[in-house]
Amino acid sequence: MSYFGLDRIFKLLQTIKSYGGIRASLYKIYRMDSLRPGVLVGTDKYGNQYYENPSYFYGRNRWVEYAPKYGMDYDGSQVPAEWFGWLHYKTDFLPSQDPSRPNYKWMADHTENLSGTPGQYMPYSTNRPKIQAWVPLSK
Amino acid sequence: MSSTLVKLFTVSRTGARAITPALSLVNQRFAGSAPKDGYIYVNNVDPSMELSDITDRAAQTLFVTEILRGFGVTLGHIFKEPATINYPFEKGPLSPRFRGEHALRRYPSGEERCIACKLCEAICPAQAITIEAEERADGSRRTTRYDIDMTKCIYCGFCQEACPVDAIVEGPNFEFSTETHEELLYNKEKLLNNGDKWESEIASNIHADHLYR
Repeated sequence: MSYFGLDRIFKLLQTIKSYGGIRASLYKIYRMDSLRPGVLVGTDKYGNQYYENPSYFYGRNRWVEYAPKYGMDYDGSQVPAEWFGWLHYKTDFLPSQDPSRPNYKWMADHTENLSGTPGQYMPYSTNRPKIQAWVPLSK
Repeated sequence: MSSTLVKLFTVSRTGARAITPALSLVNQRFAGSAPKDGYIYVNNVDPSMELSDITDRAAQTLFVTEILRGFGVTLGHIFKEPATINYPFEKGPLSPRFRGEHALRRYPSGEERCIACKLCEAICPAQAITIEAEERADGSRRTTRYDIDMTKCIYCGFCQEACPVDAIVEGPNFEFSTETHEELLYNKEKLLNNGDKWESEIASNIHADHLYR
C-alpha cells in the first residue's frame, strides 16, 4: 500500500479530521499555504500554537500557527522571546523545561513589530536640553 | 579536486608528456582535453563527425528526448518535498551567537547594567552609538542618553564584546524592519524596552555560549 503511495491518502484524511473538518482545513490552507500533520507541543500566552513533526526535514519540522485573533494579519515578529529559540532550532527544550531561561518580574510582555501603526516607536531625546531659551520678564 | 589541480598544474608547467591514463581522464573531465605542449585546450571540443555519432544526434533531435526527459524531471519534483521553508510559520535555524537588534540588559534586581563607560561608543567602527552620562540622584554613574543609529550600525558585535558588564548586547531579533528611517534611531528607552522584552532569549543565548566566553 505504501509502495503505491495510498497511505498518503489516509494520512491526508486523518490530518483533515485532526484539524476539525473540511471547512477548517480549507481555511488553514488559505491562511498557511499548507496542511501538515503535527503534534501540538505548546501554546504561548498570546494564543500562538507550536507544532512539531520530526518526519519532515530539519528546518521544516517545527512551525507556529499564529493565534486566531490575528486572522490574516500574522507576522513573523509575533513569536515571543520564550519560544523564539525553540522555533529557530537553537534549543530542543520547550520554554517550560529550559533551566537557562530566567523569569524576572520586570520582564515585559512581547509586542509585535509596530512599524506603520499608531503604536510605532518614535525617537525622542532622553536628556534635558542643554540650552534654555530666555524668557523675558514681563511687567 | 584541488590536489588534482595542483598536479595538473605542475604537469603542464614542466611540459611532461608522460601522463598516466587516469590523470588524463581527469584532465578531459575538467579542462576539456589533455595538455599538449604545456597548454590546455579550454574551448568546447568540436562534435564528432563519425557517422554513428551524427545519427545519434539526429535521432535525439527527432524524438525530442531532451524535452521528454525534462518533463520527467519536472513531474518528479512535483511530488517531492519542497526544499524551501514556509517563512512566517516555519523559521530557519539560528545560532545563539546571532547578532540582531540591540538591547540594553538589566541585573536580576531590575537595575540597569550600563555604567556609561563608553567603551562601546569608542570601539564602534561605524560611530553609531552616542552616550551622555550624568550622576544619578543616588550617586551612581548612569547614562542619560544612549542612542544607537541602527541605520549606521554594521552589526559587527564589537559593542557587546567591549561591554564589561554585558549591558549592551545584540539580541536574537531580526524582525525589526520599519517603514521610516527615524524609527530606527533608537534611544535608551527603546533599548531598555528591547532588553525587557527579549531577556528570556538573551539570557538563554549567553548561557548556551558561556563555555566559550
